Amino acid sequence: MSGGHVITDAAVANCLGTDNRTVFERAFAGPGTDADAFAAAQAFYAFPFSTALGIMPADMGPGAGEDRLACTATRVARIALASVRQLLPAVRAATGRWGAQRIAYVFASSTGGLEETERTLAPDPRMPVTSAGYQYADHGIDATSAAIAQHLGVQGVQMAISTACSSSFKGLASAIRLIDHGLADAVVVGSADSLCRTTVFGFHSLGLLAPTATQPFSRDRCGITLGEGSAYVLVERDTSETRRIAHARVSGLGAASDAFHHTSPHPEGLGGQLCMRQAIERAGLGPNDIDFVSAHGTGTLLNDASEAAAVARVFERSIPVTATKSLTGHTLGSAGLTALVLAIESLRRQAIPASLRATPVDDRLGVTVIDKLTSARIEHVLINAFGFGGSNASVVISQANAVGR
Amino acid sequence: MTTVGPIQLLATSFFSTHHASAADALAGTERAPALPAYKLLAGRARRFTSLVTQLHIEVCGGLPPDAEPPINVFATCHGEIQTAEALIADFHANALVSSARFALSVHNTPSGLYSVATASTAPSTTITGANAIAAGWLEAVLTALDAGRTVMLSIADEPVPAAFKAAAEPVGVAAAFLLGRGRGRAAQLAIRPRTEQDDASPLQVLARIADGASREAAATVALGQIQPGATLELQLSQDAPA
Repeated sequence: MSGGHVITDAAVANCLGTDNRTVFERAFAGPGTDADAFAAAQAFYAFPFSTALGIMPADMGPGAGEDRLACTATRVARIALASVRQLLPAVRAATGRWGAQRIAYVFASSTGGLEETERTLAPDPRMPVTSAGYQYADHGIDATSAAIAQHLGVQGVQMAISTACSSSFKGLASAIRLIDHGLADAVVVGSADSLCRTTVFGFHSLGLLAPTATQPFSRDRCGITLGEGSAYVLVERDTSETRRIAHARVSGLGAASDAFHHTSPHPEGLGGQLCMRQAIERAGLGPNDIDFVSAHGTGTLLNDASEAAAVARVFERSIPVTATKSLTGHTLGSAGLTALVLAIESLRRQAIPASLRATPVDDRLGVTVIDKLTSARIEHVLINAFGFGGSNASVVISQANAVGR
Repeated sequence: MTTVGPIQLLATSFFSTHHASAADALAGTERAPALPAYKLLAGRARRFTSLVTQLHIEVCGGLPPDAEPPINVFATCHGEIQTAEALIADFHANALVSSARFALSVHNTPSGLYSVATASTAPSTTITGANAIAAGWLEAVLTALDAGRTVMLSIADEPVPAAFKAAAEPVGVAAAFLLGRGRGRAAQLAIRPRTEQDDASPLQVLARIADGASREAAATVALGQIQPGATLELQLSQDAPA
């Protein structure tokens, strides 16, 4: 990374709530409060098995003035807009700073508009087609991009990324490159994934769904709780003006492949080790400078063991680890940015959100799991997003005025 | 006009299910449909792979090996679209899906299988959407300029099933490119105002690049829309004399 990159606004929406305030209040409430937002899967569809899901609140929108957008009929578009509407004032301000053509739009997702396609190809009376008539343009990962970019008033480069559960961090990396090479001064990096029957049936077929709410890093962990949600950040070139309004700095990014198996993680978390080390090094930091790790933490036996092994190798000390999927569910392509936006709130609150249902912690993993809301001095956070294909990415974010060693 | 680069185009590989070469694709000369051999994948790794994965692996395997594994940029407009249809049919009919098929349903399936097959831990990303060819080239060139090492760009798409009602070509097409430092054609990207003449199918665009790269003359290929009202253009220099 050359030059600096600051995050001047961030927005998130998921099963915890449709706006930052609600999401943060619940995420930072700790266990024993109303942080637990999962529902039985049958609230989404009549699945013939038991699992929990992180379903978006029914009042997610579209909001005022959004129903004119061509894309708002689809579920993923409504989920995306829950974040977009929060980001709109900051994007308008950035447009004033840089001009609309200097602001790019990078969108990341694992399934895009697949849920809308399912409604057409696998009709179910309880899930009617929501658009005026099915069109292929509603299906793709980028189905919402043109309309949302236009809604935001940005006219720069547009890209769509899909690398399963690391998608949004790959999108963030692409955004940084656009800024570094002078193709943009600011980038709206967005991610959204909706629940859909393909992913729920699919993860069930792999034996990876938890029958009840997920328990990352617990001795009793038994799988994933799928969720849906969106997360957006506005990344801008670091100037005295943008630094003054920044929520955080993107200090370092890392990416690596496992080269082990398409869906099973490397036992020692090889790709995870490589990308965590790379992100820390590119931030100009050492492992001892990182205050906590926001883990990928899906709650499966193998994923948590692999990630814990990688964390242990990289940090060689007891570092606090939390898994925000215990709060939001696994939002797939949006998972990385979702955790990143929560980490920005950690920087602001100087607190680490609890990893719910982690106790009894699996002592064999050798990681220090934060199982209650914990106050701490937090300057640098490392966040992981790992996915199918052995696709691994890590990001270090820092206090806006923090500097590397 | 904004320009990016130059970087060297070190090698090119092209495959079409319906055309023997890029020149034939441009001339409209079809052959009996042929499937890729995708020899990089062996044994169990070949099972359940879709045509788009096979196409990617075929053209990646057609590039000369590099001493250092390249960083990989994959691009696809439609992704694993045939697998998506099969999975939907599965759960609609049987209330269950094939785990093997689901595992290979993500857009970065070719990327994952390629990294395993080549034992490469290098970073890899997958660009998608209607402008995947243009955005893929932009990502690859920027990555190559950043990284100081070779980048492999692989672009492929399979026919979209009729049920999706997409306006897409009924052919499988793929092309792969090695970009970096070394002996090759200078390749530069330019963002310029969009014209009606820029509209071309993915088959045409990939064939034009591959055909242009095989000739000594300078070549310019419109890669597609990269931002509202603007096209990304690939400019290949005249081949340097031996």
